[in-house]
Amino acid sequence: MKVLMKPIEVIAWFTKEGIPNPIKYRVREEEKDNIIKIGRVVTRTEEKLAGNRMLIYRCQTILHDHIKVYELKYEVNTCRWFLFKI
Amino acid sequence: MIAKKQGINSTSHAVYPLRVVRLNFFILYYEHMFIYTYGKEGVNYMHNRIIFHIDVNSAYLSWEAVYRLQQGQTVDLREIPSVIGGNEENRHGIVLTKSIPAKKYSIKTGETLFSARNKCPELVVVPPRYTLYMQCSSAMVEILKEYSPTIQRYSIDEVFLDYTNMECHFGEAVEAAHKIKDRIRKELGFTVNIGIGNNKLLAKMASEFEKPNKVHTLYREEIAKKMWGLPVEELFFVGSSTAKKLKSKGIMTIGELANTDPSYLQQWLKSHGLLIWQYANGLDDSVIKNNGVPMKGLGNSNTIAFDVTDSITAHQILLALSETVGTRIRNANKCAYVLSISIKNDHLISYSHQRKLDVPIASTNSIYENAKRLFNEVWKGEPIRHLGIYLSSLCLNDFYQISLFETKEKEHKKLDEAIDKIRVKYGCHAVIRSSFVNSDLSPLMGGVLTEEEYPMMSSLL
Ligand SMILES: [Mg+2]
Repeated sequence: MKVLMKPIEVIAWFTKEGIPNPIKYRVREEEKDNIIKIGRVVTRTEEKLAGNRMLIYRCQTILHDHIKVYELKYEVNTCRWFLFKI
Repeated sequence: MIAKKQGINSTSHAVYPLRVVRLNFFILYYEHMFIYTYGKEGVNYMHNRIIFHIDVNSAYLSWEAVYRLQQGQTVDLREIPSVIGGNEENRHGIVLTKSIPAKKYSIKTGETLFSARNKCPELVVVPPRYTLYMQCSSAMVEILKEYSPTIQRYSIDEVFLDYTNMECHFGEAVEAAHKIKDRIRKELGFTVNIGIGNNKLLAKMASEFEKPNKVHTLYREEIAKKMWGLPVEELFFVGSSTAKKLKSKGIMTIGELANTDPSYLQQWLKSHGLLIWQYANGLDDSVIKNNGVPMKGLGNSNTIAFDVTDSITAHQILLALSETVGTRIRNANKCAYVLSISIKNDHLISYSHQRKLDVPIASTNSIYENAKRLFNEVWKGEPIRHLGIYLSSLCLNDFYQISLFETKEKEHKKLDEAIDKIRVKYGCHAVIRSSFVNSDLSPLMGGVLTEEEYPMMSSLL
């Protein structure tokens, strides 16, 4: 997987405990918007590098009969989502 | 037989150096002071303390590097020639922290960005980002708090931790220090050195040994082996001018300083001489104070009602600013390693100049003298609208308070204390400098910089 760290728009639901769960995201690629539905969150981990809390989601989506694995990142401090690795 | 024995005794007495006797005397005296200050249990505690000094390696630079990597950048600033300092456009900035590859170009902390770029044209210069530093520092303190209730944030990247009696919880000191160091690296992404000693001074000296990402001990019994061989300027609180003086008398190493007659040093270098002698012998009984969040810096500035066109008036304004900045830094029990001044001219163009000092300052006179020197170096002679003085790279003055520096800092300190007290009691204009008597200028200038104004300050550094 390659590090992209591209800002994305996300629809997510939050648990009562405040944990965000991404449902789908929109990313702009080659002048057009792509909407990708998150098939399954495989793992959720947390990191605190430089004291900056981020949640990392390892996700998969089936695209054209292929399982595509990628990672999203949520920056708690700024409420921003990123397409981290693909 | 008896006569012979006495003979031997008397010769060995003659050989036995006087300074060792004095040394023992001083150590005895120290123990008396412990009993006096802390009681018998206190002596036991003070004698068997285990203190950690946690020091972030190239703090500003490592923090910026980790943050950038987390944000998806591929270049690690720690692996290329890079420095933190100034603004890209600001040619008056200085190097605050450098990467190890930058060190290979003999770029030094405190030198101007201009000269650093001359040494290495491809040098990457990154402006400081204090909110990030505070975030990193606080995250580190959160981890440290798990290991001891007694923690002192000495500066933004240095923490003292009292590990005394904590072995039963987290294991032997060295083992625990490795655990802490590795956790910080794994969880927060940056490396630290941890020095372990019987007091704050020894812990601090130990953390200065080989870097980065290392744990070192410097217990009382290791002083001779690990510290005495080092050049004298590596001792905490020996600035370059003191080092020069000591070397002129043949005192080249910390060990030679430790074994010099303390009363001679006291006579020669006043109380600063005695202080560095105590440090050379590993003597320090300052306690770890649980204190709040470290301050980043402070400064005062003033917009002037008229255009200042001569340096005498400008100096006068700097003096008035020094008064208020000085009072504030002393109130905060801090002293500063970096002093900056800023000038805004009649075209509203600002520029600044700063310097890293050998020893931290807090007295009004030292602030003024340094500000004046910086001003003279940088002022282009055009009309001035606005002047400011900023102090940063702050550290606590708890080592400092017993020390008296190379200059007249001792007299300055007493004078400042007296003036500060009078002003608190009788109002801030109760005592003013005579140079302001027949002047239209206010003898005390500058409002307090608020947190919101701080970004302005960070762009100066
Ligand atoms: Mg450091």
